[in-house]
Amino acid sequence: MDDRKIQIVIDSLWPMIKAALQYTITLALISFVLGLILAVLVALVRVWKIPVLNQIAIFYVWVIRGTPLLVQLFIIFFGLPSVGIEFDPFPAAVIAFTLNMGAYNSEIVRAAIQSISNGQWEAAYSLGMTRGQALWRVILPQAARVSVPPLSNSFISLVKDTSLAYTITVVELFQVAKQITATTYEPLLLYTEAAVIYLAICTILNALQSVMEKRLSRFSAQ
Amino acid sequence: MIEIRNLHKSFGSLQVLNGIDLSLEKGKVLVIIGPSGSGKTTLLRCLNLLETPDAGSLQLGETTLEFNGRRKMDKQKVLKLRQSTGMVFQSYNLFPHKTALENVMEAQIVVQKRDKEAARKRSLELLAKVGLSGKEDAYPHQLSGGQQQRVGIARALATDPEVMLFDEPTSALDPELVGEVLKVMKELAAEGMTMVVVTHEMKFAAEAADKVVLMDGGVILEQGPPQKVLQNPSSERASQFLNVLTSKE
Ligand SMILES: Nc1ncnc2c1ncn2[C@@H]1O[C@H](COP(=O)(O)OP(=O)(O)O)[C@@H](O)[C@H]1O
Ligand SMILES: [Mg+2]
Repeated sequence: MDDRKIQIVIDSLWPMIKAALQYTITLALISFVLGLILAVLVALVRVWKIPVLNQIAIFYVWVIRGTPLLVQLFIIFFGLPSVGIEFDPFPAAVIAFTLNMGAYNSEIVRAAIQSISNGQWEAAYSLGMTRGQALWRVILPQAARVSVPPLSNSFISLVKDTSLAYTITVVELFQVAKQITATTYEPLLLYTEAAVIYLAICTILNALQSVMEKRLSRFSAQ
Repeated sequence: MIEIRNLHKSFGSLQVLNGIDLSLEKGKVLVIIGPSGSGKTTLLRCLNLLETPDAGSLQLGETTLEFNGRRKMDKQKVLKLRQSTGMVFQSYNLFPHKTALENVMEAQIVVQKRDKEAARKRSLELLAKVGLSGKEDAYPHQLSGGQQQRVGIARALATDPEVMLFDEPTSALDPELVGEVLKVMKELAAEGMTMVVVTHEMKFAAEAADKVVLMDGGVILEQGPPQKVLQNPSSERASQFLNVLTSKE
């Protein structure tokens, strides 16, 4: 590699990392947390088969899972303004990714809740707990443990999927790589550099996942 | 203490309880025996409303409930009734993510809103009572079946119930662990706890029961003092069942 290329890599490193911190990770974190809250609500609606809401939840999951994320992003950012609903790029991305996470993760959370034996609900009820108390104190902590591996995978996918937000002009990591490429004409170099940064983030997340699984497994022999 | 009148319960088209009448005085021990599928568990679960009876009435302590088809029950009454009963399950159903001590503290904190220190103190007493001092910080999977079931008893006692319900508390246990659980139950009985126990432990029934009920096909076939029901049943069906049970021992 000649000096010019090395210089380009070095010069672009901080802008890319900054974009990753400021947009990629922020976008992923906010969407994941909001999406998880949505996912738990949707999962509960489905587990308890709450009338009307259950049908809405089924419809929502069906639509989100059956359409491309890129198309959802475009509808929210480019489509909705024509009916008078306008979002800035970042909030538009948050909405799209939250809806996406909510749908996919609701299936994970639902499976986790249903994997907890009925005897746990009954033990909680027999002690006089309400449904909410049983859920919060007994079921969800156990379901959380079961769902850590699939939710971690889901989060890692999300981190990578945030690169799609460049299409609606969010200045995240990939967008920055693209912009620098436009002035330096070194696509292989800069896109590889971006890939390495994604890889580093995902490696750290994988390590965090292992730590979390270990901590959560301390109460179980399995 | 307990007064059951004409209790009916079906699952779909399956009639499981077919008019149960039963009463139990405060401080007495009722043992329910009967063949598998006769409705013992369902009857016990009706007593703390894990199952909702279709018809009949139930009085437990100060709570009286009338059942009438699909009519919704008063939630507060249900919670109150459940707090005045403690249930011990065949498969323990301990909370696996909590230590023995936390299992016993849980309902005191969440349901009874006791402060943490008081709940802790009471839980330590209860664990000592069931012979588990020193095991406070063990998670359920680190305990033997007999120890887990004793935590289950301590957990059920923690809300100071007026009645304790036991559903075959020793039938999932290795034979050598049965004794330690029965011992705790006998001590409870001797202290004057009102108890309803589904069990096949005939020795326990003979020694600890004030009253034995033999169920079959969703009805009560025999009821009375243990000597009468266990040794001198009035129906052919009852003596057949008792013969099978005693020949197994
Ligand atoms: N939740 C349920 N749904 C459908 N059938 C049930 C349910 N619970 C129990 N039964 C049926 O009711 C009958 C009585 O069950 P149970 O009360 O558990 O009997 P026992 O405890 O005496 O063995 C059995 O035929 C059982 O299959
Ligand atoms: Mg049973």
